[in-house]
Amino acid sequence: MGLAVAVLALDAWVRPATSGPALAQMPAIAVHGQPVQAASLQRVAMGDVPMPPGTQAAHASSLLPMPAGSATALSLFWFSGERESGPLVQIAATQWDRASGRWLEPRFVVNRETMGAVLGHGLRRLGNPVAWMDGQGRMHLFVVATGWGGWAASRVLHLRQSSASQALQDLAFEPVRVLPLSWLWNTSFLVRNAAFPLQDGGMVLPVHFELGIKYPVAVRLDAQGEFAGMTRISAQPYKLQPTLLAQSPSDWVALMRDERPAGKITAARSRNGGASWEDLPDLPLGNPDSAVAAFGLGPQQMLLAHNPTPEGRAKLDLSRSSDGLQWTWQQTLRQGTEEAEFSYPAMAWADDALWLAYTVDRATLSWQRFAPGGRP
Amino acid sequence: MSAPALPALGVMQLWLHVGWALVVAGGVTAVLARLTTRFTARVAVLRAVAAALAVWTMLPGPYSSAYWLGLAFQAPSGVLALVCGLLGWRALRTTKGQAPAGEPAGVLGLACVGVLGGWVLLMDAFAQWPWAVYGWGFGRAALAALTVMALLPLLHKDAYRRATAWLMPGALLLFAALRLPTGNVWDAVLDPWLWVFLHGVVLRAAYRRWRH
Repeated sequence: MGLAVAVLALDAWVRPATSGPALAQMPAIAVHGQPVQAASLQRVAMGDVPMPPGTQAAHASSLLPMPAGSATALSLFWFSGERESGPLVQIAATQWDRASGRWLEPRFVVNRETMGAVLGHGLRRLGNPVAWMDGQGRMHLFVVATGWGGWAASRVLHLRQSSASQALQDLAFEPVRVLPLSWLWNTSFLVRNAAFPLQDGGMVLPVHFELGIKYPVAVRLDAQGEFAGMTRISAQPYKLQPTLLAQSPSDWVALMRDERPAGKITAARSRNGGASWEDLPDLPLGNPDSAVAAFGLGPQQMLLAHNPTPEGRAKLDLSRSSDGLQWTWQQTLRQGTEEAEFSYPAMAWADDALWLAYTVDRATLSWQRFAPGGRP
Repeated sequence: MSAPALPALGVMQLWLHVGWALVVAGGVTAVLARLTTRFTARVAVLRAVAAALAVWTMLPGPYSSAYWLGLAFQAPSGVLALVCGLLGWRALRTTKGQAPAGEPAGVLGLACVGVLGGWVLLMDAFAQWPWAVYGWGFGRAALAALTVMALLPLLHKDAYRRATAWLMPGALLLFAALRLPTGNVWDAVLDPWLWVFLHGVVLRAAYRRWRH
């Protein structure tokens, strides 16, 4: 009896205060005091992202807006190396320099050997990174790191900024931990899409399981980046890489990649701040087993970057919606020959513009910038 | 749901080595002790093997077996580490032919619950239940339920004298204080390797009961 009391008392002492209900931070992007309308966005610039020397592969970009006082507008992270899933793959980063109006020379900021040495155990390969700024203005990176096996043996490695400065030449990260997401030797969870910000300064990190079957999960972190719980978004075994949109602080929509042949963009909805989810009918948008990225500009102003054709990833479209479920085509972002690939889009808002980054042929990254009314 | 508390990185780093040292050194020593060779019958040999394995696991970086075991399996559960530590300890103390006395029925009952619980968690990993069971392991209710369950074998007469009856309570105490190994209480009391081992324990007990 005394032992039971000791266990429960120790637990109560160690455990932090219970988090309140998760409420989404509703986007309210405005330029010159005017709310931005999705339909008004026009492309004002585009180009290629410089690659680290000697790399042949690049994939899975993640954009992070920088603070207003920073010399740079955006940070961009991706994985790069000799080939996807190669032993030399590292997490690369660059930043958009406000003064020169160009991307800085990229550098590697995360290396699997260095991180493994700190953790005390090996990391076999690195993959998708997702960047986030916490309530204290510290950068976090969530990186796919595999154990013994391929992507199905993935775990989500949580890193936190360890450098005092966020300038690209100084930027450094240290491991917080591998997020505990599964009983089965903590495999096989991956991260891909952007963090979904909450009113308390925390966020929801969309992840998915992919050993044999696929299913999406929402992981909540508090304003300090501490793990605060997890909820399964769907048990349907073909939905992966969720991207989240807020219809209201407590009504959320998850849009997902579809693993099935001739798939459609799949959907789920929560009406209680992510505490529980229900599956929705598939959207009438085709999905060639390819990542989609959603972004909220404001109430009823939502954007979706997606590959619309079931045949492949040769076309990348931008669509808009007022509820996250009914989508209207806005414009084609890129289109190439049958073998071309424009995939894994990421979006962010910085310096009065929407920025979009995506993979080109798994070898390089490109970017585009959109401004209301086409005024840069 | 109550807020989860996860272990600090330093504590996890230490447990990775200590936990696997107990599993590797204790487990291998216990297996060797059961082999009837002149070599393995000598306690001095077993002690040397156990010490060598423990030192190997405590080495830093890629020179350590813990580095590679952690890559594949992360850290062991508290119960697995304590089970292997106990088996190794017994192997080093007992002489050949002195098999440990039988375990109280409650401990065997816990092993059966562990086998079933592992199946539940395995199915949950593949989203085969309507609820996400693994997530409950971060909450206070799961810890309370497991604590009550862990103490049940101690209600048997003289059970408190048996070390096996203290394995699960010990692992839960380790969890409550340090959140080891992951901050999820299911990981503290059961990992996939322990689950495989428990299948052997339960099947052996069932076979013995059938024969007698």
